[in-house]
Amino acid sequence: MGLVELNDFSITPAGGHQKDGAVGLVMANLSELVGWGRKYSLHPLLFGLACCAIEQISAGMSRFDISRFGAEVFRASPRQSDLIIISGRVSNKMAPVVRRLYDQMLEPKWVIAMGDCASCGGPFNNYAIVQGVDKIIPVDVYVPGCPPRPEALFYAILRLQQKVQKFGIGEREG
Amino acid sequence: MTDLTYDKLKANFPDAVLGKEDFHGETTITVSPDALLKVAKFLRDDPELRYNLLLDVYGVDRMKLGQSPRFASTYELFSVPHARHVRLNVPLKDVGGGQEETPQVDSVTGIWSTANWLERETYDLMGIEFKGHPWLHRILLPQNWVGHPLRKDYPIGGEPVYFTADRDNPRFAHLGKQIMDVPAFHSELEDMDANGHLVINMGPQHPATHGVLRLAVELDGERVVSCKPEVGYLHSGFEKTGESIRYEKFIPYCDRLDYVSSMSNNLGYVMAVERLLGVEVPQHAQYARVILTELQRIASHMVWLGTHAMDVSGTIHALLMYAFYWREQILDIFEMVCGARMTTSYFNVGGLRWPLPGAFEDAVRHFLKGFPEVMKDFEAMLTDNPVWRARLEGVGVLTAEEALDLGVTGPLLRAAGEPFDLRKVKPYSSYDHFDFDIPTATEADSYARYKVRMAELWQSLRIIEQGLEKLGKGPHITDDRKVALPPRDEISTSMEALIHHFKLVTEGFKPPVGRVYGMIENPKGILAFGLISDGSAVPYRLRVRGPSFVNLQATDLMARQGLLSDIVTVVGSIDIVLGEVDR
Repeated sequence: MGLVELNDFSITPAGGHQKDGAVGLVMANLSELVGWGRKYSLHPLLFGLACCAIEQISAGMSRFDISRFGAEVFRASPRQSDLIIISGRVSNKMAPVVRRLYDQMLEPKWVIAMGDCASCGGPFNNYAIVQGVDKIIPVDVYVPGCPPRPEALFYAILRLQQKVQKFGIGEREG
Repeated sequence: MTDLTYDKLKANFPDAVLGKEDFHGETTITVSPDALLKVAKFLRDDPELRYNLLLDVYGVDRMKLGQSPRFASTYELFSVPHARHVRLNVPLKDVGGGQEETPQVDSVTGIWSTANWLERETYDLMGIEFKGHPWLHRILLPQNWVGHPLRKDYPIGGEPVYFTADRDNPRFAHLGKQIMDVPAFHSELEDMDANGHLVINMGPQHPATHGVLRLAVELDGERVVSCKPEVGYLHSGFEKTGESIRYEKFIPYCDRLDYVSSMSNNLGYVMAVERLLGVEVPQHAQYARVILTELQRIASHMVWLGTHAMDVSGTIHALLMYAFYWREQILDIFEMVCGARMTTSYFNVGGLRWPLPGAFEDAVRHFLKGFPEVMKDFEAMLTDNPVWRARLEGVGVLTAEEALDLGVTGPLLRAAGEPFDLRKVKPYSSYDHFDFDIPTATEADSYARYKVRMAELWQSLRIIEQGLEKLGKGPHITDDRKVALPPRDEISTSMEALIHHFKLVTEGFKPPVGRVYGMIENPKGILAFGLISDGSAVPYRLRVRGPSFVNLQATDLMARQGLLSDIVTVVGSIDIVLGEVDR
């Protein structure tokens, strides 16, 4: 029986110690092992834009508890985080700031577009709002909803974890 | 109808007063632009009038109304001592011609300081120049923006959105072009002494600014010399959007203004539309509105309390957890009522969107049973907490005169000793049937605001309890078929109902020509919606007065001579929501 089995990756301990749970020896593919470590220690940026940011805070509170997914340590500095959740509408005035925050994050880094506004402009198809944050930064997971419930954000984080697992230790393409 | 304000103005300025309009109990006095300053000063200082609170300044582009001259600026005045509201309409002289024309009017910043930001916003979005304004720069849009979006010849903008992007397809070549260069010129830094003092930037990405607020702070050592907020990072074009869709379709947008008190926003908007239409709301629906709005006030104050406590003293992080836990209880009630946690859109023009569910009263009673205990816990954790008191007492003092001059309303004004609450002064939605107090304090500092808000929570509980007793049964929406959809079973039996349904869905209701200004006491201050109808189903002009926007203007005054770390306390105690600041 594997120690960890989630989605498409498992670490199988070799040798005895099955009963006390201690792992004597682990054989693993390095890139898979790194991906496994990364996906359970996502550090989102402490960054909120609009309504979705309130749901993002709710997701971090005791009822929904984002720490069940290993992503609860919100970092206030982009240089310490590897996930940016764009939670709200991005205005033309804010767009350069969002881009700069993304540029300041260290590789590897991921982006979740939370909610309709961040995904496609939502109800605000007008002069002020950028129609989808994917126009300025690459997005990994889109979350529909206005605003999405915290559970929807968790589903996005689970999907992102699958992506992180497959990412390997190389450079991001493109 | 005799009108003291009009009569006194007419007697004192016979040439300047051009006319008067009454519509659904609101008075609009048209004043010549040359005499604006004299009239404004008279209105503020005359002991019988005392219009000491300037609620709003906004421009109207009357191009499509067929009125001349094209631009008019509007001043919404409120007299706190006499509880009276009047509107000044000032038609501006046309200057030049074509799109480049910038009409001019005298600035009233010397009479009411709150006009500073309101006039900057009008300049930014409508392109009206205010002569004598101390600092006339764009406020919501970037400094290098071209044009004024709220003018009627400015397109709403936007672009088609494709839901599958393909990098090789030339159709998507425009992607990424929408980013603009960061403006190199920051107007708010211009009069700061960057050589003698330390100028630091706070935000727009900062954990203690409650969103995308940017503060430029000039420091002498650790003392704040000046603190200039720069807003607009969340400007979403609410007013322009509202002027392109039907009245009832703006209700969901209200939710997204002040997104931690969407029920209150809905109430403010639908009441403005109801006044425009002259619709009566059934009593049952009015009480239901009061209960839900007061629940929303508690939820909003929970967000304020939790984040403020965390900002000011990092050790009280647990309080944020508790506050949000109890907010979730309220959100559960909202979800039961309308299906959404935050963006409720539950109030409809004429009443409620659906009847209240059967379990509503029990759910609210359950909440009322548990919440007072938690309130006592909160007060035990904070009221005499030495860290909390040391961070709040004497910080960010704003006296009642300064607050009224700056247009500051809500708990900030009440914490300065002025018992001004629209629920008492101009009761709406049957608030006059309820027995409750207006908590005030006299110290006018951040700690006084904390005490006022906590006392308000207790009053809200009282109101909800009384509301449950009064609620009873009854129709949830008006039976005026020109406004509200007929019930489903009526459609299948009555031809008339079917026609009403068809007309309402395809065309919407058409209010009479006129203008209203609907005000409501939001958790953060006076929220107001100004509506101008040209008789069609789409508002000609929709104005939103966000209390956070006006209150935020006081940051500079409150933070001066304090410590840098006190800015966090000041911003937290104003209780802003950036969605409403930037609109």
